[in-house]
Amino acid sequence: MRLLLDLRNTENPSEREQLAREADKYGIWGVVVTGPQGAECVEASAIATTTSHVVVVVDIDGQDVHPTTLAEEISVLDQIAQRRTMVIFRGPPSSRTTITTLLNGLPFEGFILSPPPAQASIPVHSPEQIPQADLPENPAEAAAVIDRYRDAPEAFLIVSANNSIKELARHSVGRAASTDFPQMVADMADQIDPINQ
Amino acid sequence: MDIGIGLWCLQSTATSPRSFGQAYQDLISDAQLAEANGIHSLWLSEHHGYYDGYCPALMPAAGAALAATQNIQIGTGVLLLPLHEPQRVANAANLLNEQSPNRFHLGLGMGYRPIEFEIKQQNISQRLQLMNAGLDALKSQTQTPTWVGISSEKAAERAGRRGLGLFISGAFSKEVVNTLIQAHRAAWEKSDPSEDSPPPVGLLRNLWIVDSEKERRQALDWVRSSYLVYAGLGWGADNTGVDFVSQIETSMDEVEKSATVGSAEQIAEELDGYDVDLVVCRIGYDQPPRTALTEVIERIGRELTPLFDNPGGKQ
Repeated sequence: MRLLLDLRNTENPSEREQLAREADKYGIWGVVVTGPQGAECVEASAIATTTSHVVVVVDIDGQDVHPTTLAEEISVLDQIAQRRTMVIFRGPPSSRTTITTLLNGLPFEGFILSPPPAQASIPVHSPEQIPQADLPENPAEAAAVIDRYRDAPEAFLIVSANNSIKELARHSVGRAASTDFPQMVADMADQIDPINQ
Repeated sequence: MDIGIGLWCLQSTATSPRSFGQAYQDLISDAQLAEANGIHSLWLSEHHGYYDGYCPALMPAAGAALAATQNIQIGTGVLLLPLHEPQRVANAANLLNEQSPNRFHLGLGMGYRPIEFEIKQQNISQRLQLMNAGLDALKSQTQTPTWVGISSEKAAERAGRRGLGLFISGAFSKEVVNTLIQAHRAAWEKSDPSEDSPPPVGLLRNLWIVDSEKERRQALDWVRSSYLVYAGLGWGADNTGVDFVSQIETSMDEVEKSATVGSAEQIAEELDGYDVDLVVCRIGYDQPPRTALTEVIERIGRELTPLFDNPGGKQ
């Protein structure tokens, strides 16, 4: 299971950027961003430009907008992000079909995206396909949450971290990825290299 | 007078193929280079559904360029408003302004390619109504500096009445440009404006700094080549009935005549007399090698910009 850090409720743009940089640095798999309708890919583009590795998951409101416009914005974002784009789409099923087809590099009703996505295919998810959880500050409780979703099994979990990004990376990324995560090593690392120093 | 550069179209053309990923990385490095050399602004351009990937989504591209820089202004030159939902455009512009205060300019145009309206299921015959409705909607929804791309006096008057800036396309003679500016100014004055000064005027010019006749010929060939791309957009993809082969030479000859190519001092002299606030040096052609493009960006910043560096005055 891969963890996606939720930045959708972080109001300050500088703080969002800083958290994304830390997620990038410490190996969080993805960050989830959004914006006012029409600005979602603008926000995602800014985050993609200031990071190098983290997947940029853009949460898009697809109501009352031509699906081709959305697909074009996402495709340009994927070029900027250099294949690091993933989409959470909220909108009509017909629009989702159009967007998914176009982001797979296929024509829809005679139209094909130009530029095409950088990826062979940009993943498009509906909100209900990806669970989300507030990770408790208590490490044991946070571990239990991670274990529950990992063993479900889920492919992704959106988390709102109450602790530092480095702590999330140290204690939760490996646990989410593996059923034999050595918690003792992470705890020892806290002694050798305390998070808050 | 401010000096900007444009138009970044992010294409991979038949004449100069490249990876799209490289095109978007070049946008960022070009914006950083322009900023380092004191250039006022960099402008992007939009089209849809063309084979060469001509950028169809300017706001994310602007977001990337702004995020990668600290001072340079980024503009859309122009975003084709009838092909977008105005509320979404306003929201995107407002976020860009929030992320990068006072550094984003919203240039808007109507569009002219039938296929682009078909893609967006819009009727091209309604484009003027869509443009006007969009401009009215944006006025109440964003404080972003807004420029309107125009090529006729009527269009200049519409922008003037609304108190919006002008973005004049690149191949007009000085007489035509000044006529458009006068129409814009007169319409603004008649509108009983609340502002003390008229809305700004920007001028796109095909331009290149050179040191020799050989370089001048090379630059003019790049300008001509760039209009092959535009002719393809306007004529090649649509069934317009235009004889592509015979018309392209005429068009390229006209563009060459209006291009401003010379030393920085010669260019400054040529630009003198235009009553404009901004000149966007159109250097984003597809033919020049990267080294030539980066060199001219540096020279525009270091040699041309200082010749207009007189706060409070236009020239």
